[in-house]
Amino acid sequence: MASIALNDVRKFFGHHPVLHGISLEIRDGEFVILVGPSGCGKSTLLRMLAGLEDVSEGEISIGGRVVNDMAPKERDIAMVFQNYALYPHMTVADNMAFSLRLAGAPKAQKQAAVARAAEILDLSHLLDRFPRELSGGQRQRVAMGRAIVRDPAVFLFDEPLSNLDAKLRVAMRTEIKALHQRLKTTMVYVTHDQIEAMTMADRIVVMNGGRVEQVGRPLDLYDKPANLFVAAFIGSPAMNLLHGEAVAAPGGTAFRAKGGGLLPLPADRGVQPGTPLVYGVRPEHIELAASAACDTEAQIAVVEPTGSETQVFMTLGSDSLVGVFRERVADEPGSTLRLRIDPARVHLFEPSTGARIDAAAASTSPIREAVLA
Amino acid sequence: MTDTTLTLRAPPAPRRRRPGFVAMLYLYASLFIVAAIVLVPLLTTAVGGFKTLGDLRVNPFGLPETWQWSNYWDILSGARYWQMLGNSLLIASMTVVLTVAVAAMAAFALAHVRFFGSAFLMNYFLVGLMFPIATAILPLFIRIRDLGLLDTYLGVVLPQVAFGLGMAILLFRNFFRNVPKELFEAALVDGGGYIRFFWFVTLPLSRPILATVAIVAFVNSWNNYIMPLIMLNSQDKYPWPLGIMIYQGEFSTDWQLVLAFITLTILPTVIVFFAAQKHIVAGLTAGAVKG
Ligand SMILES: Nc1ncnc2c1ncn2[C@@H]1O[C@H](COP(=O)(O)OP(=O)(O)OP(=O)(O)O)[C@@H](O)[C@H]1O
Ligand SMILES: [Mg+2]
Repeated sequence: MASIALNDVRKFFGHHPVLHGISLEIRDGEFVILVGPSGCGKSTLLRMLAGLEDVSEGEISIGGRVVNDMAPKERDIAMVFQNYALYPHMTVADNMAFSLRLAGAPKAQKQAAVARAAEILDLSHLLDRFPRELSGGQRQRVAMGRAIVRDPAVFLFDEPLSNLDAKLRVAMRTEIKALHQRLKTTMVYVTHDQIEAMTMADRIVVMNGGRVEQVGRPLDLYDKPANLFVAAFIGSPAMNLLHGEAVAAPGGTAFRAKGGGLLPLPADRGVQPGTPLVYGVRPEHIELAASAACDTEAQIAVVEPTGSETQVFMTLGSDSLVGVFRERVADEPGSTLRLRIDPARVHLFEPSTGARIDAAAASTSPIREAVLA
Repeated sequence: MTDTTLTLRAPPAPRRRRPGFVAMLYLYASLFIVAAIVLVPLLTTAVGGFKTLGDLRVNPFGLPETWQWSNYWDILSGARYWQMLGNSLLIASMTVVLTVAVAAMAAFALAHVRFFGSAFLMNYFLVGLMFPIATAILPLFIRIRDLGLLDTYLGVVLPQVAFGLGMAILLFRNFFRNVPKELFEAALVDGGGYIRFFWFVTLPLSRPILATVAIVAFVNSWNNYIMPLIMLNSQDKYPWPLGIMIYQGEFSTDWQLVLAFITLTILPTVIVFFAAQKHIVAGLTAGAVKG
């Protein structure tokens, strides 16, 4: 059990900067997921936590001890690798007991630790097999078992599920989450799959290009993305983002997209007509208007029913717009849909900086302040 | 290695067609020729050992007129044969152990540790591959004499190890480099360092290449003629290639005995080769395809 603190951590490969000053506090027992597009430096950051890459600048502490110059084994961490990295010539039991064997633990202790981990992960009947005789999901569990046996203060996972098929991935997601609830150990988990991040994490760290874009609980990121990057990254299908400007309208101000569409603006953001804006609305927050009282009209391009809901690709002027509706929508390309948008669920961003424009009165959240600082 | 993600996806295997008659004929003919090139001298030697000297002169390739079992029997029942076999075995074993130990450790460092001059060092070893033993004999002799190792087993073993090192390091390094980096990192997190990773992970994974290097070193040492010839003086230290000289008289050579002797001394290596065939092929082709 340990908390983790990163203080302005930077990483250079040669002269090439990869991480540009990352500061982060992870509480004891928290499940934190680092998420971001490929190449943004998630693995590098995790490997720095593990001690597999050295820290170019800044400070990392685990459990209150600065670990910058400590070898991996002194950090009291365990790591689960993307390709599992099981020792091919050892049985499952030997793989799991390897760290204890290196530490010179007595046989009884090794057996007890392996038995406990195997029981947690339902591996007891596989202990004598070799890794090549296991399925992908089983190998994954052995890799976690190897970590559990060490009883570390921190678990580190680097995309542990990316080699599994879709169904198994969902099952393992639940299993890892259950494991965390059972062990209550601090876990840092890297993925580029935002669904994985949303479903598993206590808190998500969204990274991009070696910087932290936002830190927050999954639903906070969904409800209040701090900037355009997070808005586009979190949520599936992705948020509609339209460029345009505020214009004067009969009831106050409205949003005029570059493509020509006119959309309702929330009154509380205090934007003046003429302000350039990026207008964000999630597909699931666009509704079909029952009566003639609609906010805007769009033309159907493609309809994709999934049964429970219908995903509709529309054109609004020359912009495209995606909506997800509970109702079934007839597949008639070119026909017009009348839409309602709840202004309270609209996100506004400054086009130049990408920063979120919040309600003028509402106080900014402390998390966001920390990020923007 | 066995982990799925680390293997490259092989291109789809070409569809197997049954080769036509001409192709089969060609295949069998060429295999027969290759087999004959290997087998004819071996068999001629073995069968020649059963002949009398006169028979051998008149009829070198055919079956013996009368089977002279005594040729073999005399060699097998004499103490000298066993002593030479023992000497050969001792020298070869020491060569194998030293070659494998030194080359494996050097190759591990060259494959995994980045240090100043590692590329230069590797190339230095590789240049050694192209160096013919015969040209080095004189300086080698002087050096071994200065070390006071003339007429000792070590005087033969050390130069043999030195000459075998280039090839052994090359084979080991290529194999070690294909051990996935994540295994080392996993071992690092599990609390090991380079040395324990080498001992507990790399070596057990390298059995095929260990076998290959060991056998190549063994056979080279077993068949080495010039090194013991130069370095050894006392007959009781002679390995078997020098033993042949005993049957060379001043005026005539007992060729039938030479052939029988060669057959008896080559037999162990042939047996070892057959026993380890699978490992050798695996070891020589390892690294060609990642996996
Ligand atoms: N050993 C290295 N030497 C030089 N550059 C490196 C090295 N390792 C990583 N990088 C660079 O650092 C950047 C971040 O890499 P990293 O592996 O952390 O990305 P990632 O976020 O984990 O991406 P992915 O989702 O694809 O795994 C990349 O641009 C990569 O090219
Ligand atoms: Mg990565």
